[in-house]
Amino acid sequence: MDKLISSVAVRALLAFLLLVALGPILWTVLSAFKDLRDIVTPVPKILFTPTLDNFATILRNPTIRDGLLNSAVVVSAAVLVGAVLGIPAAHTLARYARKWGDDVQFFVLSLRFMPPVAIALPFIVLYLDLGIYDTLFGLVLVYLITTVSTIIWLAVPAFERVPREIEEAAAMEGCGPAEIFWRFSLPVAAPSLFGALVFTFVLVWNELLLALTLAAQKATLPVVAASITSLGKEVPWGVINAATVVLVLPPLVFIGLLMGLLNSMVRSGPK
Amino acid sequence: MANITCKNIVKSYGAHPVIEGLNLEISDREFVVFLGPSGCGKSTMLRMIAGLEEVSAGHIAIGGTDVTDLPPGERGVAMVFQSYALYPHMTVADNITFGLRRQGNSRAEIAPRLKQVADLLGLTPFLERRPKNLSGGQQQRVAMARAMIKTPKVFLFDEPLSNLDAKLREKLRTEIRKIHMQLKTTTIFVTHDQLEAMTIADRIVLMRDGQIEQMGTPDEIFERPRSRFVADFIGTPAMNFVRAEIRAGDELCASGGGLTLTLSPHSFPDLVAGQKVELGLRPARMELCGQNSHNAIHGTVVLVENMGAEGQVITNVAGAEVSFVTKDFRSLSPGDPVTFSIAPDHIHVFDPETGRSLRKD
Repeated sequence: MDKLISSVAVRALLAFLLLVALGPILWTVLSAFKDLRDIVTPVPKILFTPTLDNFATILRNPTIRDGLLNSAVVVSAAVLVGAVLGIPAAHTLARYARKWGDDVQFFVLSLRFMPPVAIALPFIVLYLDLGIYDTLFGLVLVYLITTVSTIIWLAVPAFERVPREIEEAAAMEGCGPAEIFWRFSLPVAAPSLFGALVFTFVLVWNELLLALTLAAQKATLPVVAASITSLGKEVPWGVINAATVVLVLPPLVFIGLLMGLLNSMVRSGPK
Repeated sequence: MANITCKNIVKSYGAHPVIEGLNLEISDREFVVFLGPSGCGKSTMLRMIAGLEEVSAGHIAIGGTDVTDLPPGERGVAMVFQSYALYPHMTVADNITFGLRRQGNSRAEIAPRLKQVADLLGLTPFLERRPKNLSGGQQQRVAMARAMIKTPKVFLFDEPLSNLDAKLREKLRTEIRKIHMQLKTTTIFVTHDQLEAMTIADRIVLMRDGQIEQMGTPDEIFERPRSRFVADFIGTPAMNFVRAEIRAGDELCASGGGLTLTLSPHSFPDLVAGQKVELGLRPARMELCGQNSHNAIHGTVVLVENMGAEGQVITNVAGAEVSFVTKDFRSLSPGDPVTFSIAPDHIHVFDPETGRSLRKD
């Protein structure tokens, strides 16, 4: 009987915590489908007639559409190039340069110590001189500092957890260093690396300050979303909520896609 | 033909030498065990033969070909690791066949060989599973199958049974030996377990501090240890050591530590009266005897350890502990006076300074 009570109590507590954690998200999603008068009513409405007007407003607005596209291009490119450069670097640090690994890792992390403003101001000047101010390329370049460093920082421990014997067993079968990395270290470390990529993606996706300072016309979604709040005197809550949902969706889709890719990659060796 | 020749092998990490000028010849089809305490260089030696570790100086040849500078994949050797080192992202079948598939063999070509090794090691029901869904023993069988399917010139085992429980260890040990009798592939097996080495080896290479302490068949190592270190390392329960002095008289005789034992003059012709020696007495070579028997040792029982069929009796002989093994241990209890003896042929005599055996036959 005691057991039952404690089990029920634990479940109730968990349910409560879940509600606290997910409540705001749920509310945002619900509000995205509400008319403004359903949102601003003093008594919150659970039952309402859903509308897609908010999403229509968002997607018809060229600024937001461009922002979404810019974000997608910039963030994907920054994470992709960051992964292509960072993951092999992390493997090398973990396996062949353990001696300097800690120093390099710390240096890489120290890049993240700097407040973004400290980078942003000199970069404006540099970018204007180089002629890459307000270009997607410029944004990708500055985001690479974040993506490469974060990916290296998170991927080194992921590769260190790959048992050395697995790589040695592969070497015994005649695989060279590149083949060992591609066919063994990478797939075995994949679940941890996946976390690193997602984390990096989200970090850059939500970045506001650099995007705000280094681009004007080529605004990314966080910049656009921030500007929506000042659309008019009457705050368009429904539109803001819809914009939030649109902002959150790509990382979720990205996570799903990446997971599928990893699962298929991890399945087997050569056909 | 796949004999292995190691010539003047040196391995050092920085300025610190681990192996200094080691020479070793392993003939075709031989099952050799590298035995020694941890840190003696046996695993390093194996990894150098495998190609996973660079040789600082010297040469290694397998089947007459100098492989010193060849990468591991081109040496024609296969290795089984202590931690199994299975590929976690592949099924058992994919694990076993990876090497062959990599060489460009089609699955159809590989299938009969896969079936053969899977049957031999009892892995057929598990071929589609992932390694993490197998027990330790099954995982190690997969690792062995992966090594065997390539029909290498040499098998290398790096403490393959150390992560298994005692019962399984014994079972797999027998299997490895049986498979070797069938395939007759030259095998090097590294272990720190002397019992494992004794039971499985054609020849034991006993190492200590990067040097070969003694090489020989299990019988030679057990009956004719060349040093106190070897004698102490081999055999359970461990050998008793008693400091003694050679006595003057008609018979070759040593006394000390409360006992006086006759030695075989044929085995120790060079001993002279007054010489300080260390006697080595194997517990398994001693047995209960009557009060006035030849080479009788008198002591008091301290502890009786029941090992099932036999028991180890630990006795106090003039303040020092001496143990022996007997089937009739059940009649003994702590505090009892006890008399036991050892045949002169089974007494080992070592130089107390150098630890070298003084036996001449």
